[in-house]
Amino acid sequence: MDGDAARLLYDVSHQTTFAWLISIYFYFTGLSAGSFVVSTMSYGLGIAKYKPISRIAVIAATACLGIAPIALLLQVGWPIRSIWNHFTYLNFTSPMTYGAFLLVAYPAVCVFYALYMFRDNYPMTRRLGLIGIPAAIATHGYTGFILAFGKARPYWNTALMPTLFLVSAIVSGLALMILLVMLIFRVFKPVRAVPGEIVEGLAQILGWAIVVDLFLTFCDIAVLSVSHEGAQKMAWLILGGSFTPLFVVVENLVGKALPLIVCFAPGLRKRHWLLALACAGVVIGIFFMRYVTVFGGQVLPLM
Amino acid sequence: MPDARTRWGFLIDLRKCIGCHTCEVTCKMENDVPLGVWRSWVKVAEKGKYPHVARKFLPLLCNNCEKPICVTVCPVHANRQRPDGIVTYDPHRCVGCRYCMAACPYQVRYIHPLKKIVEKCNWCQHRVDAGEEPACVANCPTGARVFGDLSDPASNISQLIAGRNVSVIQPEMGTEPRVYYIDFDEQTFGAKRPLIWKWR
Repeated sequence: MDGDAARLLYDVSHQTTFAWLISIYFYFTGLSAGSFVVSTMSYGLGIAKYKPISRIAVIAATACLGIAPIALLLQVGWPIRSIWNHFTYLNFTSPMTYGAFLLVAYPAVCVFYALYMFRDNYPMTRRLGLIGIPAAIATHGYTGFILAFGKARPYWNTALMPTLFLVSAIVSGLALMILLVMLIFRVFKPVRAVPGEIVEGLAQILGWAIVVDLFLTFCDIAVLSVSHEGAQKMAWLILGGSFTPLFVVVENLVGKALPLIVCFAPGLRKRHWLLALACAGVVIGIFFMRYVTVFGGQVLPLM
Repeated sequence: MPDARTRWGFLIDLRKCIGCHTCEVTCKMENDVPLGVWRSWVKVAEKGKYPHVARKFLPLLCNNCEKPICVTVCPVHANRQRPDGIVTYDPHRCVGCRYCMAACPYQVRYIHPLKKIVEKCNWCQHRVDAGEEPACVANCPTGARVFGDLSDPASNISQLIAGRNVSVIQPEMGTEPRVYYIDFDEQTFGAKRPLIWKWR
C-alpha cells in the first residue's frame, strides 16, 4: 500500500500540547459536576430518599473542585499571569474565557450551597442547588467545547463532545458517590451498615447513565470510522492500534460494560463488594476516557 | 511600498527548492529559536522505486491564515491579526496555556522551553516592518521563496500566483492559509512520522 506513496526521510518533531494534567483537570471537574448533581437530588429535585448522602456529595463536589484548577495551573506556563490575564483580557470567541469565569462562579455556588445545607436552611439550599445544576453542567460542558474547537483533530472536533463529557461526568460522579457512601457509612458512622436502598438506587441510575454513555461513544466511533482520512486513522488508533488496550479494555469494558451488568442485575447489585468493585472500575475507566480523548486525540501528526 | 491595503503573502516554488535547509537554519539564527523546536522547517521524502526515484522537499512555516483559529481560541487575546494580515503573538500577554497549539491545523506553534510562552513564525515581522524581507526569503539560495503584497496586482507574488498553478496546505480547514506552493505534492505532504506512543 505504501509502495506508491512517498516515504518520509526527515521531519521535525512536534511538542505534545495537552496530556496528563489536562486529563486530570477534566476528570476532576467531571467528578465534581457528577457529585453535585447527586447532592441536588434531594434538595433541588425533591427526591427525599437521597437526603442522607447530600452532604457527602456536596463535600466531594467541592473537594474535587479544589484539585481541578491546581492541575490546570500546573499545566500553563505562567500560572499567576494566567489568573490575572484571564479576567482582564477577554476573547469572547474562546471557550477558555468563559471557563475562567465558570471556574470561579461554580465553586462559589458550591461553597454557599454546602454552607446553607449544613445550617439546615432548606429554602436557600434548594435555590442554590437549582442555580448550581446549570453551573455544574456549564463548567464541565465547556471543557467539551475546548476540545471540540480543536478543529484539526478529528477525535475532538465533534458536536457530541460536550454531551459525551457531561454524560461521562455524571457516570463518574455517581460511581464515586456509591464508593464514598459505602466507605463513610461503613467506617465513620456509629451504626456500621451500608444503606442498601440508597446505594442500590444510585446503582440503577448509574446503569442508565452508562447506557447513554455507551450509546454516545458508539455514535462517535461509528461516524469516526467512516469519516475522512484523518478520522479513519484515529478510529483505527483506538480500535486496533496503540490506544486499544486503554480504550476498549480499560475504558469500555472495565469502566462501562461490566459495571453496567452489575448495576442492572438485581442479584449482583445487592452484593455490595461487587458493586464497589464495579464502581471502582467506572472511576478508573472514566479517567482513561479523559486520557484517551485528550492525549490520544492529538497524537496523530498533522504535518 | 506597503500602505493601508497591504496584505502580505508568501509563495514557495517547490521546483526551485533544493532541500538545503538554509531557511530552517537562518530562521533559528534570526529569531533565537531554541533547541528542539522550529518555526520553519523542510520536510524531506522520497518517492518511487529504483531506478525511478525522486527526492521531494516541502518547506513548512506558519501560514498566517486569513481566518486564524489560533486567534479565535486564544483566551487572553495574545494572538492577533495585524491589519497587514500577519498573525502575531504578544509575549507579555501569553500565559502558555497551549490552546492555540492544540487548535492549529498546521502544528507550527511551539512552547518556548525557557520562556514558557507559545511562539511561532510571524514572517519576521520586525524585518518586514523595517522594509526588508523575512530572513528565510532573503537567504534562500535558489530564490524559491517569494514574499510580497497580495493586494498589489503588480507585485511579483501576485503575478506568480495569477500565472501558475498554486496550492495551499489543508484548505479544507477553512483557515484560508496565505502560504502558496507551486508544484505542491500531496503525497510528500501525506508522508508522516510513524506514531510512537509513549505515556505522557
